[in-house]
Amino acid sequence: MNFESYTIVLTGLGGQGLILLLQILGNALMNEGYKVITSETHGLSQRGGKVTCFLRFGKDQYAPIPLLASADMIIALEESCILDVLKYAKPDKSTNLIISTYEKHEFDTEYPPLEYILEILCENSENIHFIPVNEIAVKSTGNLKPMNIVVLGYTLRFLPIKKEVVENTIHDYFSGKKLEINLKAYKEGLNL
Amino acid sequence: MSYNKVVKGKIGDDKFFLGNEAIVRGALESGIDIYTYYPGTPSSEVGETFMEIFKEVGMKWVESSINEKVAIEVAGAAYARGATTMVGMKNVGLNVASDPLFALATTRPKNKNSAMVILVADDPQQHSSAVEMDSRYFLKIFKIPALEPSNPQECLEFTKEAFKISRELKLPVILRTVTMVSHARSNVVIGEIKPSEIEEKFDLSKEINVALRLYFLELKEEHIYSRLNKALEMSENSSLNTIQNENAKNQFNLGIITSGVSYGYVNEALKFLEFEAPILKLGFINPLPEKKIVEFLKRFKQIFVVEENDTFLETQILAIAQKNGLEVKIHGKDPFSYFKKKTLLSIVGELNPTKVVLALIKITNLKPKIDLRQIDKKNYDIMTRTPVLCAGCPHRTTGYALQKAIKKLKSKISKEIYFYQDIGCYTLLALPPWSFANVKYCMGSSIALAQGVAQTNDSLNIAIIGDGTFFHSGIPALLNGVYNKAPILILILDNGWIGMTGQQPHQGSDIRYYKEGIYKKSINLEEFLRGTGTNVNVIKHYDNYDESYSKKLKDLIYESGLDVLENGNLHVIVIKDECIQKSVKRQAPLIRYVDKEICNNCGLCYSQYGCSAITEREDIAYIDPNLCLGCGICEEICPNNAINREEL
Repeated sequence: MNFESYTIVLTGLGGQGLILLLQILGNALMNEGYKVITSETHGLSQRGGKVTCFLRFGKDQYAPIPLLASADMIIALEESCILDVLKYAKPDKSTNLIISTYEKHEFDTEYPPLEYILEILCENSENIHFIPVNEIAVKSTGNLKPMNIVVLGYTLRFLPIKKEVVENTIHDYFSGKKLEINLKAYKEGLNL
Repeated sequence: MSYNKVVKGKIGDDKFFLGNEAIVRGALESGIDIYTYYPGTPSSEVGETFMEIFKEVGMKWVESSINEKVAIEVAGAAYARGATTMVGMKNVGLNVASDPLFALATTRPKNKNSAMVILVADDPQQHSSAVEMDSRYFLKIFKIPALEPSNPQECLEFTKEAFKISRELKLPVILRTVTMVSHARSNVVIGEIKPSEIEEKFDLSKEINVALRLYFLELKEEHIYSRLNKALEMSENSSLNTIQNENAKNQFNLGIITSGVSYGYVNEALKFLEFEAPILKLGFINPLPEKKIVEFLKRFKQIFVVEENDTFLETQILAIAQKNGLEVKIHGKDPFSYFKKKTLLSIVGELNPTKVVLALIKITNLKPKIDLRQIDKKNYDIMTRTPVLCAGCPHRTTGYALQKAIKKLKSKISKEIYFYQDIGCYTLLALPPWSFANVKYCMGSSIALAQGVAQTNDSLNIAIIGDGTFFHSGIPALLNGVYNKAPILILILDNGWIGMTGQQPHQGSDIRYYKEGIYKKSINLEEFLRGTGTNVNVIKHYDNYDESYSKKLKDLIYESGLDVLENGNLHVIVIKDECIQKSVKRQAPLIRYVDKEICNNCGLCYSQYGCSAITEREDIAYIDPNLCLGCGICEEICPNNAINREEL
């Protein structure tokens, strides 16, 4: 794996905690000694709508938006959102796709059938990981919110970063009861 | 939190900063005394951070001003009296601030520490803006210098440089960012925080601070052109205008000129194409360094200009080439072509590395290993998602009640009803299932727009405006309407906060519920409105689960609308229902669920009311427990009583 320049695309719906996930992971990678850049979009257009963020790290300062066909990892916190960003998957099918099984339906649009999603995913990658992160978060912490931190824990198996460094960074972002819950979620994700 | 993050740390420490946080740090390292702002994405975090830390770091003053014009004026006089000042806003905020700023730029403070930097954050792609406005053309009108950083580290450095230039020239300096710079997060090496050097004795002599024809025309040469000339000299010698890949050669005799975030995209594109070209990176973007640009142009047969949005650089580079008799082909967006497909890059939308690659391929005919054109055409997504109001958002209830009231009004009177929208989350009421929008411009315009039709046509004209926006710029239009006896209905959607940009407080917010409230006095909106002598009704729906709230609201809108039509009276209805992101309802351990036995899938809750937490699943309504915040409106409106409460 090439850690001189590594690109993560993160997608989901507004309000799912994408930016926090991005912030903690980015900060931890910086603490590990990498040059990191993330991009975010805030504001109205994101509420309930699709959000796409990027995280890039390595030896140099990179642009906040990557090229198409260049992502090493794509994370989707809502299942159908993955379709929107598959343009970033590498043509050699090596991109890791990490996908939450959570489906957010809309009454006025048909939700893409699972067979359709699977077919397209297989066209684009040989490394597909479906995880029921919402259920895991609720089951392990009694709370849905730290679902993003479960995902954070899961991604570490692919990244050049020590789990203690991430754990210490989590301590910088939460305190009290929230810290306890998020550490639990993090460990749950690590051990999946 | 912000204090530990932005203020603490040793010189040379690596911090993980948002571009906006780096700007705060840069200002602290320049001895800032005052920051005034109006929140607007993507600039808001600068003000929020200053607001949190300003007492502790010993700054003189920070305020979230009522609007950008006032922000410039408060900071402007402080600048005149010798303060190191900064003002922040988004692109369209500069329109509001432009009136005082134009005059301010002609004055010339005499005090040593006078300095003013204006942060203007543009938003290519309109991620969170009503228009995609390129603020850079203002630089030519104001005749002031401007810097444009390309990443968070440069945000810190360029902010410091901007203060230095302003202090030296006694001119305001604009720091222009875009979303992908203000909202990029990256490693930033910090320097030393500089204490304020503000002096208690100062010179406010009118000859230099009064923008008046008497002084202005006579002093134009000295006050404007001599300073611009100095700024030009600075730009020519500035280390912010640099040539990268100085010795790179390519067979096309091609050089690249770029600025800001586009510089990063150019680098990515060159690397992908395995292509080398010298790059002139412009950080000092007004005035442009003409001599430096001429020297660069002379070396090439072709130049590719890469910039976000309009052709601000390209037009000037074309002029520089012509003026200096240089025969060089300049590629870019072509300021004289408005056909998107004919130009290499478009003036519409945000740039990215892929767009730069595709443009470079058109210029050079290079054939990269991966065909990005084919990949760009892939489109798998079949799920459209429009932005929606949050689950539990009070505006949705307003939309629902308004819809019912309009239906009733239409059955009673045979007149047209028109809606005038404003800037806020409630703008989404322009979308189905409501479609309440006929005309919408900018901040605060709805009330005057309603008057334009009401004064010329016998119809019902309804303005929809939020409380924050009303304070920002709706007040003069209301007074205009009251004075002119405009027969209009104004709905002030008072959710207590500036909701859309992240629940910042405004002049009417409850001071008990935000930290800096202890320094403020809240303005009572209701009393203010009654003071105008117009008809005011207030309906409250805070933390009480009033089971007939939406019906009461409907009746109130109906009655008021009828009086506007029948008697020509102006009516204001203040709908007080707190933003769900702030409300205690959000904390209530109470959500709703659908009783499967009773629900007959009439669809009222998910299609007509349109709650984003409710969809149709297995032929009945389904409330997603991940999204429901327990506001309870669905329970109230369900005609079959199929929605029940569930304690969490």
